[in-house]
Amino acid sequence: MIVNVPNPVIEVHDLTVIYNRKPALWDADFTIPKGKLVGIVGPNGAGKSTLIKAIMGLVPLSSGHAELFGKPLDEVRQKVSYVPQRESVDWDFPASALDVVLMGRYRHTGLFRRISKKDRNIAFECLKKVRMEAFANRQIAQLSGGQQQRVFLARALAQQADIYLMDEPFAGIDATTESAIVDLLFEMRSEGKTIMVVHHDLESAYEYFDWFVLLNTRLVACGPKEEVFTQDLLVETYGGKMNVLAKIGELIRENTFPVREDNSPLR
Amino acid sequence: MENLIEFLSLSDPNVRYVVLGMVLLGICSGVVGSFTFLRKRALLGDAIAHSVLPGVCLAFMIGGTKNPLFLLVGATITGWLSLIVIDFISNRSRIKPDAAIGLVLSVFFGVGILLLTSIQGSGNAAQSGLDKFLFGKAASLIGSDVWVFGILCAVMTLVVILFFKEFKLLSFDPDFAHSIGLPIRLLEIVLATITVLTVAVGIQAVGVVLMSAMLITPAAAARYWTDKLFKMVILAAIFGAISGILGAYVSYTETAMPTGPWVIVVLSLIAFFSMLVAPKRGVWAQYVIQKRNQNKIHQENVLKLFYHIAEKGDQQFRAARSLDELLSRREFPTSILKRTLTALTKKELLDKVGNNQWKLTDEGEERGKRVVRLHRLWEVYLTKYLRIAPDHVHDDAEAMEHVITPELEAELDKLLDYPATDPHDSKIPR
Ligand SMILES: Nc1ncnc2c1ncn2[C@@H]1O[C@H](COP(=O)(O)OP(=O)(O)O)[C@@H](O)[C@H]1O
Ligand SMILES: [Mg+2]
Repeated sequence: MIVNVPNPVIEVHDLTVIYNRKPALWDADFTIPKGKLVGIVGPNGAGKSTLIKAIMGLVPLSSGHAELFGKPLDEVRQKVSYVPQRESVDWDFPASALDVVLMGRYRHTGLFRRISKKDRNIAFECLKKVRMEAFANRQIAQLSGGQQQRVFLARALAQQADIYLMDEPFAGIDATTESAIVDLLFEMRSEGKTIMVVHHDLESAYEYFDWFVLLNTRLVACGPKEEVFTQDLLVETYGGKMNVLAKIGELIRENTFPVREDNSPLR
Repeated sequence: MENLIEFLSLSDPNVRYVVLGMVLLGICSGVVGSFTFLRKRALLGDAIAHSVLPGVCLAFMIGGTKNPLFLLVGATITGWLSLIVIDFISNRSRIKPDAAIGLVLSVFFGVGILLLTSIQGSGNAAQSGLDKFLFGKAASLIGSDVWVFGILCAVMTLVVILFFKEFKLLSFDPDFAHSIGLPIRLLEIVLATITVLTVAVGIQAVGVVLMSAMLITPAAAARYWTDKLFKMVILAAIFGAISGILGAYVSYTETAMPTGPWVIVVLSLIAFFSMLVAPKRGVWAQYVIQKRNQNKIHQENVLKLFYHIAEKGDQQFRAARSLDELLSRREFPTSILKRTLTALTKKELLDKVGNNQWKLTDEGEERGKRVVRLHRLWEVYLTKYLRIAPDHVHDDAEAMEHVITPELEAELDKLLDYPATDPHDSKIPR
C-alpha cells in the first residue's frame, strides 16, 4: 500500500542500496507531502538508517535516486538537515555543547572563514529551544544521553532547514527529553517543516506521527497513518518476529493506540 | 650545568640544527597528530611510517644522492600509495580495515628492508647512513634538513589553521560533514597529505619504527589536560617541542645516546605523567572523586541507620547509640564505621556523647530522614511506573538514594502525588 501525493517535497525513486552484495534497501519508491511528521518504522536491520543515508547521499546507491523539492540534493542542501544516530559519534571528543551546535552553521559560515557573532547567536538560540542553554559550555561527554540528543537537535535547528531527516532521536533518552523533543517536532511541523523520523516504539508511534513509511528491506507501505498503520501491514513489516507480533496484536485489540497521558513519568 | 648553558646557548651549529629540527618536527607531529589521534587512526599512522621506507630507498637508488628533498618526495609517494592500497582493499574486498592496514604495513616494510639490504650490498659510497631511517639519526641533521623541516612545518600549520573547523567536524562527525556538503573527499586528501608529509619528514629524525609514537603521543597526552580542541592542538605542539629539546639535550650530554628514541622516551613520560595527575581526567583525580563519593555514601548510610534504629524500635530519634548497637543493625567493617562516625561528628551531623556513643544533631536527623525518604520514594516509583515487583526494588533504591538531587526529589514526589507509604508499607518520612 503506497499512497502517492502530488507535489511531494521528498520523492524517492527505485532506491536500492547493497552492502557487500547484501541488499539493505530494495527498490524503495515513495513520495512524502510537505508539512508532515513522518515515522519510519521497521524491525532492526530493516534499512531505516540506510534509507535516510541514501537520501542524504551518504552511502553509494546501487540504483535509483531521491529528489527533494523536486531537485537533486546538491541543489537544495541548505534546506535539508540530517540528524545522525547518537551512537554514531564518539562523545568523548574535545568540544562543548555550543561547539557542536555551531557545526550546524559551518555551511553558512563558509570555508576558511571564522564563525561570526551572528552564527554564535543563532546557535545559542537553538540551544535555548531545546532548553540546553545552561549547558552551552559543558564538555559533551559530561551530558546525559538525552542531553546529547538535544544537542544534536539544536545543531539541526541551527541549520534552519525545511526538511529534517532524523535517525532514532528517541533512542535511549529519558521521558522528559522525549516529551520535550515531541513538542519541538510538533512546533516545527506547525511551521511547515517536513520531518522524517526513524522510530522504534510502535506504541508511541501512532500518536507522534501523521504519515508512515513501513520498511523491511523493501518498502511495505507508505501513507497517512489511518491507512497504513494497520495490523496487516504491521505484521507484514515485522515478519516473523513473534514478540513484536504479540505486542501488535495486543495493541490492536485495545483498538485505539494508547494516547500518552499527561502524567508520563518524570515530565 | 655548564653543559646545559652551552646547550641552551645553541652556539654549536650542530646542536642548533638538531634542536631546531626536533622542535619543528615535534610541533608538526603534535598539530597533525591531534587529528590522527581524534580520528582513531593511530594504526594508520604506523602503516604510513613503515610504508615510507621503500620510497626513501627507491629515491636513493634512482637519484644516487641523499638530498633530503629528493628522499622526501620518494617517501611521500609510497606513503600515499599505501593509503590508497589500504582504502582499496577495505572497500573492494571482505578484508576488514585493520587487517588491510596490517597487511599493507608488512608488505611495504618488507619491500623497504629488501631494498635497503640490496643498497647496502651494492657498495655505493653515498649509501652510508641510509639505515638511519629505521631508527632515525637526529644527530646527523644538517642545515638543509632544517630548512626543509621549517618550510613544511609552516605550510602544514597554516593548512591546519585554515581548515581548522572543517577538520574538527570531519573528526567528530564525518557523516554530518558530508550531509552539509563540505568537500569531505578533498578535506580527507589534505589531511592525509599533511600526515604523510609529517611522517616523511620525521623518519629521518626518529625513524620508521618510532614515528607513529611521535604522531600520537603528544595528542594523547594533551587530551588529558583540556576539553577544547584548539587548546589540545596547541598543547600537543608544545609537548612535541619540549620532548624534542630534551631528547636533543640527552644525546648532547651523553653522546652515545640516540636523540630519536630519547624524544620518544620523554614524550612517553609526559603522557604517563598527564595520565596520572591531569585534573578531572587523570587517574589521581578520578580516584579522589571516587573516594569522595564513597565517603558520602558511607556517611548517608550511617545517618540512615540512626533513623532506622529509632523507627523500628524506641522511636527515640535523638537517642545516643553505641558502636556495638550500630554494628548489630547493619553490616559495616568496623574501621569504616568508626572513620565515618568521626567524619560525621566533625561535620556536626552527629554529637559524640560519652564513650563510643553518638547521637544525631538537628541537621543529622534531617539528612537521615531525607535518605530514607528518597529510598522509599524511589521504591514507589519503580513499582508504580516500571512495574517492578516490590521485593526487587530495594537494591536499586539503595543506590539511587545517594544520587537523587533535590529538584528530582520534588518532581518525583509530585509525580507520585506525595505518597504516604512505600511498597512495603513503611511510612515515608517528611
Ligand atoms: N556500512 C555497512 N556495511 C555493511 N553492511 C551494513 C552497513 N550499514 C548497514 N549494514 C547492514 O544493512 C542492513 C540495514 O542496516 P540499517 O539501515 O542500519 O538498519 P536499521 O537502521 O533499520 O536498523 C543491516 O543488515 C546492516 O547490518
Ligand atoms: Mg538504524
